[in-house]
Amino acid sequence: MSSKESCRNELRTAIRQLSDRCLYSASKWAAEQLVGIEQDPAKFTPSNTRFQRGSSSIRRRFRTNEINSTPPTGVAYVSTPVMEEDEAIHGDFYLLAKSYFDCREYRRAAHVLRDQTGKKSVFLRCYALYLAGEKRKEEETIELEGPLGKSDAVNRELVSVERELSTLSKNNMIDPFGLYLYGLVLKEKGNENLARKVLVESVNSYPWNWSAWSELQSLCTTVDILNSLNLSNHWMKEFFLASVYQELRMHNEALSKYENLQGTFTFSNYLQAQIGKTQYSLREFDQVEVIFEDLLRNDPYRVEDMDTYSNVLYTKEYFSALSYLAHRVIMTDKYRPESCCIIGNYYSLKGLHEKSVMYFRRALKLNKKYLSAWTLMGHEYVEMKNTPAAVDAYRRAVDINPRDYRAWYGLGQAYEMIGMPHYALHYFQKSVFFQPIDSRLWIAMAQCYESEQLHMLEEAIKCYKRAANCNDTEAIALHRLAELHRELGQPEEAAFYYKKDLERMEAEEREGPNTVEALTFLATHYKTQKRFEEAEVYCTRLLDYTGPERETAKSLLRGMRIAQSGFPSMDVEHFHP
Amino acid sequence: MTGVVKAPGAFAITPHKVSLCILVHTYASPSQISVPFPFSSVSQHNRLGLYLLALTKSCDDILEPKLDQLINQLREIGGLLDDWLTDHVTSRLSSLSAPDDLFNFFNELRETLGGPDSGVMDDDQVILDPNSNLGMFLRRCILAFNLLTFEGICHLLTNIGIYCKEAISSSSYEHRLDDSSNDLESLSEYENMDLNLVFKKINEEMEARKKATEQVSFHLHLPKDLSTLVEDVEVFADTKPEHNEKGGESSSYASGDLLRDVDPDGGVFLRTNWQIQGYLMEQADAIEKHGSSFTFNAFELTLRQLQKLAPEFHRVHFLRYLNNLHHDEYFSALENLHRYFDYSAGTEGFDFVPPAGSNGFGRFEIALLCLGMMQFHFGHPKRALEVLTEAVLVSQQQCNDTCLAYTLAAICNLLSEIGFSTTSGILGSPFSPMTNVGTSLSVQQQLFVLLNGSLKRAESLKLKQLIAANNLALAKFGLTHVQRPLLSFGPKISMKLRTCPIIVCKELRSSYHLISDFCCEGSTMTTDGAFSTAWLKNLQKPMGSLVMSQDNGSGNNSNPFLFFTQPSSIPGSVLQLVGSSYLHRATAWEMYGSAPLARVNALVYATCFADASSSSDAVVVHVKLIQHLAAFRGYKEAFAALKIAEEKFLCASKSRILILKLQLLHERALHRGHLKLAQQVCDELGVLASSVASVDLQLKTEASLRHARTLLAAKQFSQAAAVAHSLFCMCYKFNLQVENATVLLLLAEIHMKSGNAVVGLPYALASLSYCQSFNLDLLKASATLTLAELWLSLGSNHTKTALTLLHGAFPMILGHGGLELCARAYITEAKCYLSDPSFSVSDNPELVLDPLRQAADELQALEYHELMAEAFYLMAIVYGKLGQLQQREEAASSFKNHIVALDHPHDADDPVLS
Repeated sequence: MSSKESCRNELRTAIRQLSDRCLYSASKWAAEQLVGIEQDPAKFTPSNTRFQRGSSSIRRRFRTNEINSTPPTGVAYVSTPVMEEDEAIHGDFYLLAKSYFDCREYRRAAHVLRDQTGKKSVFLRCYALYLAGEKRKEEETIELEGPLGKSDAVNRELVSVERELSTLSKNNMIDPFGLYLYGLVLKEKGNENLARKVLVESVNSYPWNWSAWSELQSLCTTVDILNSLNLSNHWMKEFFLASVYQELRMHNEALSKYENLQGTFTFSNYLQAQIGKTQYSLREFDQVEVIFEDLLRNDPYRVEDMDTYSNVLYTKEYFSALSYLAHRVIMTDKYRPESCCIIGNYYSLKGLHEKSVMYFRRALKLNKKYLSAWTLMGHEYVEMKNTPAAVDAYRRAVDINPRDYRAWYGLGQAYEMIGMPHYALHYFQKSVFFQPIDSRLWIAMAQCYESEQLHMLEEAIKCYKRAANCNDTEAIALHRLAELHRELGQPEEAAFYYKKDLERMEAEEREGPNTVEALTFLATHYKTQKRFEEAEVYCTRLLDYTGPERETAKSLLRGMRIAQSGFPSMDVEHFHP
Repeated sequence: MTGVVKAPGAFAITPHKVSLCILVHTYASPSQISVPFPFSSVSQHNRLGLYLLALTKSCDDILEPKLDQLINQLREIGGLLDDWLTDHVTSRLSSLSAPDDLFNFFNELRETLGGPDSGVMDDDQVILDPNSNLGMFLRRCILAFNLLTFEGICHLLTNIGIYCKEAISSSSYEHRLDDSSNDLESLSEYENMDLNLVFKKINEEMEARKKATEQVSFHLHLPKDLSTLVEDVEVFADTKPEHNEKGGESSSYASGDLLRDVDPDGGVFLRTNWQIQGYLMEQADAIEKHGSSFTFNAFELTLRQLQKLAPEFHRVHFLRYLNNLHHDEYFSALENLHRYFDYSAGTEGFDFVPPAGSNGFGRFEIALLCLGMMQFHFGHPKRALEVLTEAVLVSQQQCNDTCLAYTLAAICNLLSEIGFSTTSGILGSPFSPMTNVGTSLSVQQQLFVLLNGSLKRAESLKLKQLIAANNLALAKFGLTHVQRPLLSFGPKISMKLRTCPIIVCKELRSSYHLISDFCCEGSTMTTDGAFSTAWLKNLQKPMGSLVMSQDNGSGNNSNPFLFFTQPSSIPGSVLQLVGSSYLHRATAWEMYGSAPLARVNALVYATCFADASSSSDAVVVHVKLIQHLAAFRGYKEAFAALKIAEEKFLCASKSRILILKLQLLHERALHRGHLKLAQQVCDELGVLASSVASVDLQLKTEASLRHARTLLAAKQFSQAAAVAHSLFCMCYKFNLQVENATVLLLLAEIHMKSGNAVVGLPYALASLSYCQSFNLDLLKASATLTLAELWLSLGSNHTKTALTLLHGAFPMILGHGGLELCARAYITEAKCYLSDPSFSVSDNPELVLDPLRQAADELQALEYHELMAEAFYLMAIVYGKLGQLQQREEAASSFKNHIVALDHPHDADDPVLS
C-alpha cells in the first residue's frame, strides 16, 4: 500500500476537489478517513491528536491479531495522478453558482452556469439540475399521493441531464465527476449495466469519490457481478470491496478487509462502525457493544449506524443504556430514521408496542425504504397479535430487499401463529436459503414441521441436524433430535444425540431436567444393550440427583448387578432380605 | 399503510375527467328548450348521453384515453356535430390557463346539477338529476376538485396542458401527413383558429427548452422547426400505449419498460378504481378462458405499469399470479400468490368476503385455498391436499363457511381427478367431523360423502355457482361409480350394484337452474362495465371501414343504438358452468349408448356456449364430434374435420388434439392392415401417457388397450391376452369400471380369435354384467354381439342361440352403433344363417345377401379390408351356391383385392401423416 503520507496527501487534495464540486458527502467521508490515518509518532503534536484518542486500549483488546499494515503481497497499487484543475476563466460565475448551490438554490445555480463550457461548470450545472429535480420529485411524491398509494413521481431533469452527459461522454469530453453523475442518472433510469460501466470508469480515473463507489456497490447485487468489474487497484478499492462483501453477507471476508484497512486508517470512525456492523451480523454482541461504546465516546454526536448499537442493547436488554442512547440521538437530530428506530427499539423493550410502532412509522415516513424499520415494525405487530399488519410490514421489507432473512423468518412466524404451518414453511425455506448458518431459523422450521398439523418428523430431524451443525447456542437442536429419534423408535440415534447433548451440557456446565432425561435414557438404553459398564456410569451419575430418577437408577443398578452375577433376577429378588 | 385497506371508491380528478365534465355540461346545459343549443335532434342528444355514460363505466384499459382518442370517438358519435364538439372541448380546455379558471369552471358545473328539491320543473327543461349516473359522476368530480390542495390544482393545470399538447401534436402530425384529405382539412382549420393560444404556449416552452440546452446538440440531425420538435415529443407519448396494449412479444420487453420510465411529460392517468377492478376482472376471465394462448408479456407490461402507478393496488399481484399460472411459470406464480395475500390478507378483491374483515385476522384461508389449487394445477396433488387440509382447518377456526364450502369442492375435484391412483384413505383426521365416518372408507366413498356434504353446505349458504358445480361433480361421480350403501354389514343390506342414470340426469338438470336464477337476479355491477366496454369498442370498429366501404356502413352505424338491447346479463362463469353441464350430458349419453343424443348435446355446446367456454372445453367438444364422425361417416370426413380443429386450436390444448389424431390414425391403420404403422402410433400414445408431468390414467388405459388390439391384429394372441390381462388388473385396482367392461370384452375377442371360444365365453358374460350394472347399453350390445359370435364358433348346433342373441341386440346396434359394429352384426347374422344346417340358401337368398351387401357398403368408408374380404368371401359362396357365376366372380375378385390390400399395405394417400 502506498505510504500513510501519500494517502494523506491524496485525500487532502481530494477533499478540496470534492467540496469544490459540492460533492459534500464524499468529501465528508474522505475527511473522516484523512483524520483516521495514524499520525507518525515523530510528528506527534497534541493538537493533531485530539481526534486520535489514546483510548483504543479497549479496541486493541479485541483485535485478536495485531494487524500488519502491509497489504497482501503481490498487489501493486496504481497511483492515480491527482487531477489538474482547469479553468480559472469563468471562475467568478462558478463562485456565484457554488454559493447558490450551498444555499440549496439549485436551479439558480444551474442558471448562472448556463453558458459555461468548462468541465467543472458543466458538472456543477448538471449536478444542480439533478438535485433540483430530486428535490421537486420528493415534494411531488407527497403532493401526488393518490388513493392507491404514492404515485411514482419522477425526476423530470433526468432526461435532459442524461442526454447532455451521454453526448459529452461520446465525445470524450467528460471528467470523472461527470461520469459519476452520469452513472447516477443511468442507475435511476434503470439502465444498470451501462451505469456500472460508467461508474467503473469514473472510479478508475478518480478513486477518491466515495459516493461513486457506493453507487457502484449498490449495483453489485451478486458476487458474479462483482467479479466481472474491471477495477484498477487502488487502496480505495479495498474500502469498496469490504463494503460489497458486507452487503453480500460475506461477513468474514468483509471483516478481514476492514481489519486490514485499520492498519493504515487506525482511527477511522467509519471503519470502526463498519466492523461493528459486521460483527453484529456475525452475532458477536459483546464485541459490538464495546466497539460502539468506544465509538460514541470519540464521536458522541454520531447518529449513523447507531441503530445497530441499539439493536445490541435491545438483545441484551439494557434498559437504561438504550434510553440513554435514545435521549442522546434525539437531542442530536430528531428527524433521522435511525433516531426514530432507536426510540422504537426502546419502547419495544419496554413492552409499549403501540408507541414503538408509532416511532417505526415515523422512521419509515422519513425513509420509505428503511429496511430494518419495516422488519422491526413487523415484530411489534406480532407482539400486538395483529397478524395481517405484521405480514404486510414484513412483506414490504422483503420486497425492498429479498435477501432479508429476518423478514422472511418473521413472515413464517406470523403464519405459524395463526395456525398455518404448511403455508409458513414456504417462508421459513426462504429464510434459511438466504441465511443457512443461523441455527434459530433451522429450529423454527423444524418446529414448524413438528407441529401437530404437519407432523413431518423426518423433515424436522433434517432441520434440527442442520441447526446442530451451525452452532446452536441455545442447545435446543440436540435435545430435540434425541427426543425425536426416541419417539420414532430409533434408540441408537437417540443415544448418540443424548450423549452429544450431555457432553455439551458438561462443557457448558449446565444442568437441568434435560441432563436427567439424557442420563436416564442412556442408562436404560445401555442396559438393554447389555453394555453394563457404560450403563453403570450413567446410573451412578443419576444417583447425584434427587427425585424419582434416583430410584430408577437404583433399581437399574440392582438389576444389572444381578444380571451380571448370572442368576435369574426373579430368584434373587426372592431371596433378598 | 400497513393493515389498512384503502377505500375502493377513491376518486381523483384528471384532465380526461375535466373534458368529460365539459361534455356533460354541454349535454345538460341549463336551457329552456328540450333540445339544447348545439344539438339538432333528440337522438343526437341522446347519443351523446349514452356515449358519456359508457365512458364513465367502460373498463377496457387501466389508463384513461388521451384527448385525441376522445376526439376520434366524438367524431363517430357527433355526426354533424363533431366539429362543434371537439372544438368546444379543446377550446374550453385550452382556456384553462390559471388556477382561477379551474375554480370558475367547477363553479359553473355546479349549476348544471339540479338541486335536491328540483322535483318540480318544466318538462322541457334539461337538468341533470344529481342521483343519476352522470349526475353522480359530476358530483364526484366537483367533490374531488374541492378536496384538492393548491399544489394539487397546480398539478391538474399542468396535466391539462400536457393532455392538450399531446393531442395537438398528434393532430398536427396527422395534418402534415394527410394534407389532401378533405374532411381533415376542414377540421384542422377550425382547430388552428381556436388553438392558437395553445400553440403559442408550446412554442414558448420549446424556446425555453432550446435555450436551456443550447450548446448541447442532440437535435443536430433534425431541422429546428416547430413541427419536428413537436413530433419529437409526440413520439414519446405515442409509442407507450402501443407497447402496453399489443406491444412486441419478446423484443420490446425490456426496452418497452425503459421507454415507460423515460417518458417525463406523458400524461398518464389511471382510470377510476372501479373501472380498473372491472378491467382486471375481465382480464382474469380472459386468462382462464384462453389459458396458455393468452399473451403473457403484453399483459405483464400492463400490470407492471399499473403497479408503478398504484403501488397500493394489490390485486395486480393476483393477476400476475394468474398469468403465470396459466403459462406454467411455477416459481413466479408461487411468489406472486404469496405476495398478494401477504399484502391484502385476502380481503381485497374477493367478492364473497364479508365487509370489513369481521375479525381482523385476515382471510388467509383463501390464500391456502388458492395455493392448494395452484399446487394441483402444477401436478402436486399430494402437496395440494396437505394445503387444502390446512385450509379446511383454518376455515373452521375462522368460521368462514363460504371458504370451507369452496375448499371442500376443491378437494372433491382433486379427489375425483387423481384420487384413484392411491387406493387407501388419504384424507386425514380433520375431515372426520365432515364425513362422520372413520377414515376406513375407500377414496371413492370418501369422495361421495364429501361431495354430498359440500353440496349441502353450498345450498345452505346459497352459493349458486358452487351448487351447480357440485351438482355436476355428483353427476360425474354417478356416471362412473356404483352406488352402494356406505356401511354394509349384515345380510339385510341389499347390494344394489348399479349406477343410476336417473340420478345423473337429475343432477345435471338441477345445475341448469342456475341460469334462470341469474337471469332474474343479474349481477349488474360487472356486466354493466363489460357492456360499456363492448359498446365503445364497436364504436371504434367502423371507424376504419366506414371510409372505405360505404355499403356496410349502415349496418355498423346502427351499433350505437344497440345500447338498449342488452344481449345477456348472464356472467361468463355461469354460462361456462351451464355449458359444461351440456358437455357432461354428451359424455353421459356417449356412455349410455345413445349416439344421436350425445351428438346433439355436443353440438348444442359447440354452437351456444362456444363464446363462454374455456379453450380446453371447446377442444373436448371438438374431439367428441370428430370421434363421432369417424365412427359414423368414416375416416375421410373425420380427418378433414380434424384439420379444421387443428387450425382452430393452434396452440391451446394441443395435446388433446394430438391424442385424437393418434387414435384415428391407429384405428385406420388397424383397419387397413398397416400393422407396423399401428404399432408405431400406439407407441407414440404410450409415450404421451407416461408424461413427466402427471399420470393420466385414462390415457394410460387407452394406450395399453390399443397395444393389445394391435397385438391381436398381428395374431400374437398370447401376448395380446397378457397385455389385456395386466390392463384389467390395473383398471380393477383403480376402480375404472367402465374400462373394466371394455377390457373384458377385448379379452373375450382375443380368445375367440385364437380359437378358444370356450375360454372366451366367461369373459364376454362378465363384460355383459358390468355393462348391465353401469347401464352401458351400447357396449352391452357390442358384448352381446361378441357373445353371439362365440356361440357361433362353438359349432353349428349353437346357431339358434347366437341368432336369438343377435336379434335381441340388433335394435341397439342399428340405432346407435357405428359403421364397424353394424357391419360386424350383419356379417355375423349372415354367418349364422349359413352355418344353420336347416337353412337353405336357395330358398331365401336375400336373407343372407342383403346383410352382406349392407356390411360391404358400410365397411367401404372405414377401409376395413379384413371384414370386407370376409363379406365378399361369404357373398361369393352364396352366389356360387345359387349358381350365379358372374356375380360370384365379381365377389371373388373383390375378395381377392381386399386380401391383397391387406397383405401389402401401401402407404399411399396419407396426407395426415406427413
